[in-house]
Amino acid sequence: MSNLTKSIPVEERSMLRKMFWRSFTLYAAVSPAKQGASGFCYSLMPAINRIYQGDEEGKQAALVRSMSYFNTTIPLSTFIMGLVASMEKENKEKEGFDTNSINAVKSSLMGPLAGIGDSIFWGVLRVIAAGIAVGLGTAGNVLAPVVFLLLFNVPALLIKYYGTFLGYKLGSEYIQKVYASGLMNILTKAAGIVGLIMVGGMTASMVTFRSAFELKVKGQSVLNLQSMLDQIFVGLVPLSLTLLCYYLLKKKNVSITVLIIGVIVLSIVLSLLGIA
Amino acid sequence: MLQAFLVALAVLICVGGAELAGFTMLNRPIVVGPLVGLFLGDIHTGVIIGAALEAVFMGVVNIGGASAAEPGIATAVGTAFAIMLGKGAEVALTLALPIGILGLQIKTVLYIFIVGMFAKKFDQLAAHGEERKIVLLHYGLWLINWMLYSLVAFLGILFGSDVISAFLEAIPAVIMNGLTVCGGLLPAVGMAMLMKMLWDQKNCMFYFLGFVLAAYLNLPLIALAVLGVIIAVSMGMNEYKMNQLVLQRGIGAGSIGEYQLDEEEEEFFA
Repeated sequence: MSNLTKSIPVEERSMLRKMFWRSFTLYAAVSPAKQGASGFCYSLMPAINRIYQGDEEGKQAALVRSMSYFNTTIPLSTFIMGLVASMEKENKEKEGFDTNSINAVKSSLMGPLAGIGDSIFWGVLRVIAAGIAVGLGTAGNVLAPVVFLLLFNVPALLIKYYGTFLGYKLGSEYIQKVYASGLMNILTKAAGIVGLIMVGGMTASMVTFRSAFELKVKGQSVLNLQSMLDQIFVGLVPLSLTLLCYYLLKKKNVSITVLIIGVIVLSIVLSLLGIA
Repeated sequence: MLQAFLVALAVLICVGGAELAGFTMLNRPIVVGPLVGLFLGDIHTGVIIGAALEAVFMGVVNIGGASAAEPGIATAVGTAFAIMLGKGAEVALTLALPIGILGLQIKTVLYIFIVGMFAKKFDQLAAHGEERKIVLLHYGLWLINWMLYSLVAFLGILFGSDVISAFLEAIPAVIMNGLTVCGGLLPAVGMAMLMKMLWDQKNCMFYFLGFVLAAYLNLPLIALAVLGVIIAVSMGMNEYKMNQLVLQRGIGAGSIGEYQLDEEEEEFFA
């Protein structure tokens, strides 16, 4: 890894380091319309200022470019920032460089990287860190939050830090090669597999339901709904509800707010009916 | 008064801080609970409530800015009331869910009406190359947005104590039970959001694999992560090798090579 950083000239290294620090604020002014646009622009300023020194027009155009819609998982965002910086540099150095390609590469990468990043960071790393910390915290260990933050952030920040340099070093040509070799596809699929296994596991362990319904005749239980459900399929209710939510979200474009209200109403109705 | 201020400060540090120090998980219950506990002089209760709420909000994720609840303010206010009223973790658990859902709505309103209003302004500033103003606005919006959000927690604690006490007394047991049930079912929405991003017909069987492993074999999630990585790496390597072979064969054949690649990919995942 240190080879990676050393292969970049000292001045550019410090520029990339500045970008890394600024990238923390990616979503400081997040808005529904453009998500982290201002954060991306802010993070890229060290590069834009360095590359377009004394070229006001070029600088303004680059600022406008960097202020476009941006949304991806933060630990992987610096990779795109590094890449965009390398393309801005290419634009400055080469006549006839197609500036549209900069935002084209940016937007074509943020989707797949968000997919990979969300499954790895939200789906795997956070879940493992939180699982360990919840165990500690339940036992009253005051270090639980520290352990949680370290377990999550040390790997996430390392990836984020070196991602800046890697994106800059590889440049757009390499990314096109990666796309052409199908590697991007494979990475996305692989991350998707890990993510889905984790989401399946989380559905089983985190979406919880126990029916309290029991039919009693002369004080003897003749029908216990929960044990009946368990005999059919363990976790039948959580699984069905999750699949229903997914179906409504994906196929019917039901908004998340409506889904939440639906779940609340469903829970209260189940409670009123004495089922749960 | 001081307590209300301290809780609001915790919200600003954790929830606002999580946006300033992007994606560092500062706003998760396991961090917020102990911090509020520390501020209010009962870190032990804070840690225990934080852990309990982390388990409840584990399925609440924030994907592309969308979420099912805002766990940060929920934990801060819930923990604060539990400590202040001296009633333990159950109070926090009952309060956290409604507050979390309400908090998310407030957060969304702030996004749309405060930050959203300035999206155009950012574009104009960029077009004029007004770098300093962009930086100022970038941080200024953060400050305004999260000050207002923390203010909600401040007012809630300041004026809410009696209301919350009365509310907890008055709320019928059946509704209370409904909220507990809801706490168990709500993660389904978060899971659905993750699935929306990951699910396709070629790989959806892995979702059921994960479910069955956890539901029937009770495998912990860390074991699932290891199994998942093993499966993904071996499948990925296989596919990469196959791609390479096809590409080598495809040299000179051009488009035919790519066509074959697609076809074999289809077969592999069918």
